[in-house]
Amino acid sequence: MINVILTILAPFFGGIVYGIERVVKARMQRRVGPPLMQPFYDFFKLMDKRPIMIHSLHALMGIMYFIAEWFALGVLLLGNDLLIAVFFHVIAVLSLVVGASSVRSPYSVLGALRELMHMISYEPLMVLMVVALYLVVGSFDIKDILSYDGYPILKLPFVFIAFLLTIPMMLQKSPFDVAEAHQEIIGGPEIEYSGPFYEALYTGKWIEYIYVFTFVFLFGGSHYWLGALLVIFAFLFVNLLDNSTARLDFRRMVKFAWGFLIPMAAFNVILLALFE
Amino acid sequence: MGFFSKFRKKSPWILHYNTGGCNGCDIEILSALAPRYDIERFGMLNRGNPKQADILLVTGPVTKNCKDVLRRLYLEMAEPKVVVAMGACAHGGGIFRNFYHVENGVNNIIPVDVWIPGCAPRVEALIDGMVEAIEIWQQKSKEKEYLRDHEKVIKTLGVEDDG
Repeated sequence: MINVILTILAPFFGGIVYGIERVVKARMQRRVGPPLMQPFYDFFKLMDKRPIMIHSLHALMGIMYFIAEWFALGVLLLGNDLLIAVFFHVIAVLSLVVGASSVRSPYSVLGALRELMHMISYEPLMVLMVVALYLVVGSFDIKDILSYDGYPILKLPFVFIAFLLTIPMMLQKSPFDVAEAHQEIIGGPEIEYSGPFYEALYTGKWIEYIYVFTFVFLFGGSHYWLGALLVIFAFLFVNLLDNSTARLDFRRMVKFAWGFLIPMAAFNVILLALFE
Repeated sequence: MGFFSKFRKKSPWILHYNTGGCNGCDIEILSALAPRYDIERFGMLNRGNPKQADILLVTGPVTKNCKDVLRRLYLEMAEPKVVVAMGACAHGGGIFRNFYHVENGVNNIIPVDVWIPGCAPRVEALIDGMVEAIEIWQQKSKEKEYLRDHEKVIKTLGVEDDG
């Protein structure tokens, strides 16, 4: 029941998570920060702007990103195959890339290419993580993972650390916010969206928060308190990392993912396969 | 004025453009974002993107090189939008008035709604100007706005009007 509610109200909860994040970030910088409901005020304000489109495919792909993101979350939460949820997330990101590379703005095209680099970095890790969870639990189904009696995190410490360092890539946070890069390519793929069409991207990002932190929650198994603790830890860790680091080159991001994170996760998976 | 118009005042997003001033005003704007004044507590964000911004904050006398860029930024912003001219240079040229390379202020290029006096204005004056800009912004509708010499501007910029 709770997963149906979470799926249907995903934009709402995601907005609250984003609001909390903005407040936490401000407090980390010793500022007061915006009110908690600030993302919703932005949402309502963007509804009231004059809609300007570049062309219809571009606008459609922005809305497609939102829908596919929501659909991926629905697949994940409503008790289906975890791998399918990962692949639906690929569709969401790909529609963003197609939309962004269909306009003439160089920043937008550059952002689309960098978004692909992001995908190259984190998608193999997502698949490895799902496989590792399968090796521990024996099922791809989210219900079986959430009713598993052991502690998956004790068997998958390296996979968890690798995923923790992947979250900044998925949520566009600071050491790896290569595609968005607000001071450098002014938002990347989202630069040409305005008004109600930008809203689709803005809301899609909130849903991505729920999507990512659901994966973190899975590491707790049937011990929901552990899952909740892991989510809170991951949230604070990612924000701390975001506030204290500068942006890296995209080459270094891909090198870090393929040279360090994926071998570490693969090492954990191999150990698990040998000794189970 | 619909249901959503009430929430406008909660989230004004700023686009800041320097048209050739001395950077004094820009440093004041940056200090408004910093912890001491923290303009984000009113929901204001400094977006570098005209398509998503609501308030165009212009500093500097408009030099001949960047007047077309300024027009273009103004035309790319989606209505409702407000233009704020900050500092003495933006008001009529300031110490650059009647120089050979200067257009003598922002109002000669795009219509200005709020003026923030001073050289450079204090951050308190900036925030006060922003509050006034938000009040004007709330009265505006989302109909398309045209420049005074719209046809000519469109011709010089070499862009198409989206109607």
